[in-house]
Amino acid sequence: MSAATAERKAKVASVGEREVTIERVFDAPRDRVWRAMTDPKLVAQWWGRGNKLTVERWEFQKGGHWRFVEHSDHGNHGFEGRFAEIEPPAKVVQTFEWDGMPGHVAFETLTLEDLGDGRTQLRTHSIFMTKQDRDGMLQSGMESGVNESYAALDRLLATLN
Amino acid sequence: MVQYHTGMDAGFAAMSDVTRRGILERLGRTPASITDLASQFGMTLTGMKKHVAVLERAGLVRSKKVGRVRTCALGPRTLDKEMAWIEQYKRMLEQRLDRLDAFLERTKGDEK
Repeated sequence: MSAATAERKAKVASVGEREVTIERVFDAPRDRVWRAMTDPKLVAQWWGRGNKLTVERWEFQKGGHWRFVEHSDHGNHGFEGRFAEIEPPAKVVQTFEWDGMPGHVAFETLTLEDLGDGRTQLRTHSIFMTKQDRDGMLQSGMESGVNESYAALDRLLATLN
Repeated sequence: MVQYHTGMDAGFAAMSDVTRRGILERLGRTPASITDLASQFGMTLTGMKKHVAVLERAGLVRSKKVGRVRTCALGPRTLDKEMAWIEQYKRMLEQRLDRLDAFLERTKGDEK
């Protein structure tokens, strides 16, 4: 493995029991990485991990719904969620659910940082929640009602049920 | 005399130690030899063998000796479903990012 490849390899860490962060540097400018991650035709070419991928829904806007199905020899796997925040070309916040574990939702925050030398630093932060946690969060968010992003999250969570 | 549910007891004992939880997380990614585990966790071989033995008794880890190397992997007893899912999710994310990396390499220069 070359040094450049080793450097690009993902750094994965568990923060607490229910959080996962991943950091990774891509040897491509930020705009290219952003397009690869947000243009459904391009997403379909890598997201399936080598499996055929069907993009069933891709509403790339705040509150929009995304749904992918991976087709493998072991069967089909559906994944879906909603977009909570979109800030091109730097940030996406979305929910993530796998059909195999309904009600177990991950909130994913993905940021892209322009490293200024043609490379891009990607960071993902995921928090896992059970349906109960999610509903609790929905409740507390509605009570405070101050944080705009939480309010947006609430609206989108309401549509998940 | 009270008969404890041995499976559950062994599981609690096994998970009560931070190193053992670390070992499970490590083995959730790929199997590893006792020697690898010992060096990764900065322990002696003897110390690591003891930890692995506790995990094996609880069914959380299984090991197999091939030649002079004992390789450990996650055992038949599944962890809490949620924990297993988080582990699986991590691997999935890594695989996706590997694919994204390969995709960006492949399409380099396709668009400006």
